[in-house]
Amino acid sequence: MAAGHNRATAPGPNRSLARSRPRYGEAAIKVLLLAAALVSIATTLGIVAALLEPTIEFFSEVSFGEFFGSTSWGPLFSPPAFGVWPIIVATLEITLIAVIVAIPLGLAAAIYLSEYATTRVRKIFKPVLEVLAGIPTVVFGFFAFSFVTPLLQDILPFTLDPRNALSAGLLVGVMIIPIVASLSEDAMSAVPRSLREGSFALGASKMTTSVSVVLPAAFSGIVAAIILAISRAAGETMIVAIAAGFKSIFTFNPGSEMATMAAFIASAGSGDAPVGSIAYKTIFAVGSLLFIMTFAMNWFSARMVKKYREVYE
Amino acid sequence: MTQPNVTLRGPEVPNTPGSLDPVFTVEDLSVFYGDYEAVRNVDMMIGRREITAMIGPSGCGKSTVLRCFNRMNDLIPGAHIKGKILYHEEDLYGDHVDPIEVRRRIGMVFQKPNPFPKSIYDNVAYGPRVNGMKKNMDTVVEEALNKAALWDEVKDKLKQNALSLSGGQQQRLCIARAIAVKPEVILMDEPCSALDPIATTKIEDLMQELRQEYTILIVTHNMQQAARVSDRTAFFTADVDSAGVRHGRLVEFDQTTRIFTKPSDKRTEDYITGRFG
Amino acid sequence: MALLSTPRSQVDLVGKGRPIREHLFRIALLSSLAVALIFLGLLLAYTLTEGWPRLDSRLWENFPSVRRPETSGVLSGIAGTLWIIGLTAVMALPTGVLAAIYLEEYADNTKWYNRLIELNIANLAAVPSIVYGILGLGIIARWLDFGFTVMTGAVTISLLVLPIVIISAREAIRAVPPSIREGSLALGATQWQTIYRQVLPASIPGIATGSILALSRAIGEAAPFLMLGAATLVRFNPDGVWSSFTVLPLQIYNLISQSREEFHILAAAAIVVLLAILLLMNSLAIWLRNRYQKRW
Repeated sequence: MAAGHNRATAPGPNRSLARSRPRYGEAAIKVLLLAAALVSIATTLGIVAALLEPTIEFFSEVSFGEFFGSTSWGPLFSPPAFGVWPIIVATLEITLIAVIVAIPLGLAAAIYLSEYATTRVRKIFKPVLEVLAGIPTVVFGFFAFSFVTPLLQDILPFTLDPRNALSAGLLVGVMIIPIVASLSEDAMSAVPRSLREGSFALGASKMTTSVSVVLPAAFSGIVAAIILAISRAAGETMIVAIAAGFKSIFTFNPGSEMATMAAFIASAGSGDAPVGSIAYKTIFAVGSLLFIMTFAMNWFSARMVKKYREVYE
Repeated sequence: MTQPNVTLRGPEVPNTPGSLDPVFTVEDLSVFYGDYEAVRNVDMMIGRREITAMIGPSGCGKSTVLRCFNRMNDLIPGAHIKGKILYHEEDLYGDHVDPIEVRRRIGMVFQKPNPFPKSIYDNVAYGPRVNGMKKNMDTVVEEALNKAALWDEVKDKLKQNALSLSGGQQQRLCIARAIAVKPEVILMDEPCSALDPIATTKIEDLMQELRQEYTILIVTHNMQQAARVSDRTAFFTADVDSAGVRHGRLVEFDQTTRIFTKPSDKRTEDYITGRFG
Repeated sequence: MALLSTPRSQVDLVGKGRPIREHLFRIALLSSLAVALIFLGLLLAYTLTEGWPRLDSRLWENFPSVRRPETSGVLSGIAGTLWIIGLTAVMALPTGVLAAIYLEEYADNTKWYNRLIELNIANLAAVPSIVYGILGLGIIARWLDFGFTVMTGAVTISLLVLPIVIISAREAIRAVPPSIREGSLALGATQWQTIYRQVLPASIPGIATGSILALSRAIGEAAPFLMLGAATLVRFNPDGVWSSFTVLPLQIYNLISQSREEFHILAAAAIVVLLAILLLMNSLAIWLRNRYQKRW
């Protein structure tokens, strides 16, 4: 009907509205797209499957009581010790240091970018945060080990091991600043203008508006950002492997060398443990613990994000 | 204005002059979004090569009804209808009906001009192309742009991005784009609401031209526009039921001259004389 | 007399001047951003000065050696990284974009399985990369029996960046206004025609930006490879997808682990190469985004 000028306006009842030709392609494409989306489900199932069997085998040999009830860790030693607390404490301690660095700096950056910065200033600082977020963690680890630790050894009054929790924690903190900053900024930007205008109209200053109107309004989004950052910090491997070391001692001293859960997995997984041995299974048991911890945090964080989206969007 | 002694509304609507050659026959149409009944019990007929205007206050469901005619409401999850729309005696919502086939016959122009971010030529050629037409594309494009009274303005810049056109030109391009598929009906959803008065006049003149060949349904919130361009007018309003829920409904459907001179319903009269809405 | 009252009302409107704490607050906020900037500058400057003596062709022409730091290089790491990135681009980008199209254009959000897919992707994006290493080790290397090969590494990293690709592609697709889709569908285009001819072309710049950022994440990733046998000294380039391999970040890690100072200098030089590649990719992504931002 290329140039069927006359027929154009007279389809009438003689041409049915039924499908003129079948469209199998459309259905096939939808199946293909769904399959691509299901790869993500398969990934999660794969992770669970990879962790589950060796973890069950591990706990058939080592009791829950020993795993969670003792403070001596050394699955590769003989005799081996399976008290997981030293690596949990190390993980928490480094995460805590990181959060102490990242929350104030990240939040301040977010408030500045969302409430104060002009478009031009944003155009400078946003890429800086993006570049920071894109720096490989092995580079942060190198910087912590060969620059920050010697510097801290010179200026701090107490002794620092060459590999220590403090500088690793500081650098993990820097690593998660972009996460805190950009997700918090998203949450603050989602706060409606009318709320700010209402505050200004009552004579409130910019600082008061930012701190007592915008921050509380964006609260759930900010909490989500912080939890996600904590989860990222707890699972970070390369910085801690390089700058905090692999020694599993039960200590709270930030100047001491200590292995986190991720660092243990990395060291045992990179060839120290013979396949099938109890030490090898330990990798998966610790992996399960780390996965469950981070998964719980991520899930909670996703819930919080959903909450603020529902309120304002 | 004197009240006519016969009330023309509801199922009695087909009480229109015999000259009406129906393209669509709407029978007791209700539109739902999920459980919410947005419009209830509409009966009307759309005459061939006529311009039918749908007017009424905002939120009365006139756009919702318009989008039933080319099954655009299908795209909203949970949207469904009760009642019937017949298109040349064929049930538009019959099981065998393919919404895509429907949209090829019944074109649509939207409230805000929405040209594709492509060249002017590609915008017009898009419809024929997705419908599998390959030959004589230049002729089709020229013809459509001609009918939309846009050819002279754009013939030297067909390769330019459509977004570089003015708002009025963009809207006429969207009309050309719809015409290029060679539809029988063109639905227009407040096509001039984003345009200035001069661009609006051009579109209204164009509608008179198109009326020779196409059946046009236009939703407008501008009563003068309805009075100027249309042959028949449907007046919608919204009722609040006993549970406090708003439902759109058709109050009156008649020849435009009658609606604007001798409306049979008090609410129509109030609306067109500006006492309400 | 009217003249006398005017200055008074002006004074009232000017107020007592902005309190000091307003200024301090602003300065505190700004300095937190400055800290990030200074840190970044310091890191780059330090690495560059440290690595400078070894930033020459020996670095990218030689294989690593534990005994001879002066002739040691990271050639096998660069080659391995290129292999991994190439394969990841081929596997993760199409899969991610297709999944994003499904979620944005087809998925009915009232269905539980679509919500599950969405929640799952958000969770996966935050799973620690070392856990992906466990997935690679337990499932891909051992269960699928791919061994410690380039293929295992590429599949693992593809799964790791997949959520990032999906999330950024979804944002790009969502940025295409609904009016474009409506316009296309109203002309009788099918849903796939609408996506293929309108939505995808309009979102390509955004998808490209996100994809580049996802790939640069893959380039810098080291932890999963630790689990995949890539930590050993590799003195050859991969000759195919079933070859053993190492990657640049892991070679850097190995160099830092050496006790001799010369190897640390070499590590710094290798970091400069790695960062140069990443900064280039980042700039490309930022340029793309600014160039094509908001066309309607």
